[in-house]
Amino acid sequence: MPRVAAIEHPFGRPYGDVDDVETQREVLASTLKFGVSCEEPGSIEHLQFRWHEDPKNTKWHPPEPAPIIRLMKEQLAKKRS
Amino acid sequence: MEKTSSTVDPFRFTGRTIGAMIAEVIESENPVSSVPWKPLDKPLKEARVALLTTSGVSMKGDKPFDMERERKRPTWGDPTWRAVKLGAVADDVEINHLHIDTSYAKRDLNVALPMDRLKELVSKGEVGGAADTNYSIMGFQGNDPLRVVRESAEPIYEQLRDERVDILALAPV
Repeated sequence: MPRVAAIEHPFGRPYGDVDDVETQREVLASTLKFGVSCEEPGSIEHLQFRWHEDPKNTKWHPPEPAPIIRLMKEQLAKKRS
Repeated sequence: MEKTSSTVDPFRFTGRTIGAMIAEVIESENPVSSVPWKPLDKPLKEARVALLTTSGVSMKGDKPFDMERERKRPTWGDPTWRAVKLGAVADDVEINHLHIDTSYAKRDLNVALPMDRLKELVSKGEVGGAADTNYSIMGFQGNDPLRVVRESAEPIYEQLRDERVDILALAPV
């Protein structure tokens, strides 16, 4: 991973929310500008975008638990029983 | 859109349990000893850009990412890749990913693969060109996270080279 533009957006929507054209374009433009401007491997840029919803009100989970999460819960339950 | 001035918190949306699990996996991995490096030899306004998403996007008619096998073997993730044509919209693709809510990308593909936004940056002259092909892999790789590198990195590289792409922007979901 030669260079990283980090962003504080929820899973599934790294560039911005549905139909939020301005944020999507600014995130992409900021990422590309950083990519061409940084001068050494491993550079990390913290992009300054704030998601419009509080984390506790932001829905990103799949409708059913991921298989690995289901497996881990089953293993944990077995361990406790 | 509100802008802030702070260091990004990678666990802001995970919740405590998943955040702890991810942190544990990261800490258990060997640190990377060297990072490949290739500075760009031209300005962005002359560069051709392609996008890659880890959200399990496939063109309708292509083989979708394999969710059934992952359901049967939860420690396995599909290591293959798909080409996504520039200009494809949500109606042209399938999105299969068991770890996120895919309904957002199914309404607006740009949330994860912003091909429309890339074309706009090209029209404005900020980016030199948009590649004809963009890419998707599956973000969840289970207990062998390097399998996708072994199986998909080289063919993706070859396609990028054939299309004379200068920058590949990878966005994990």
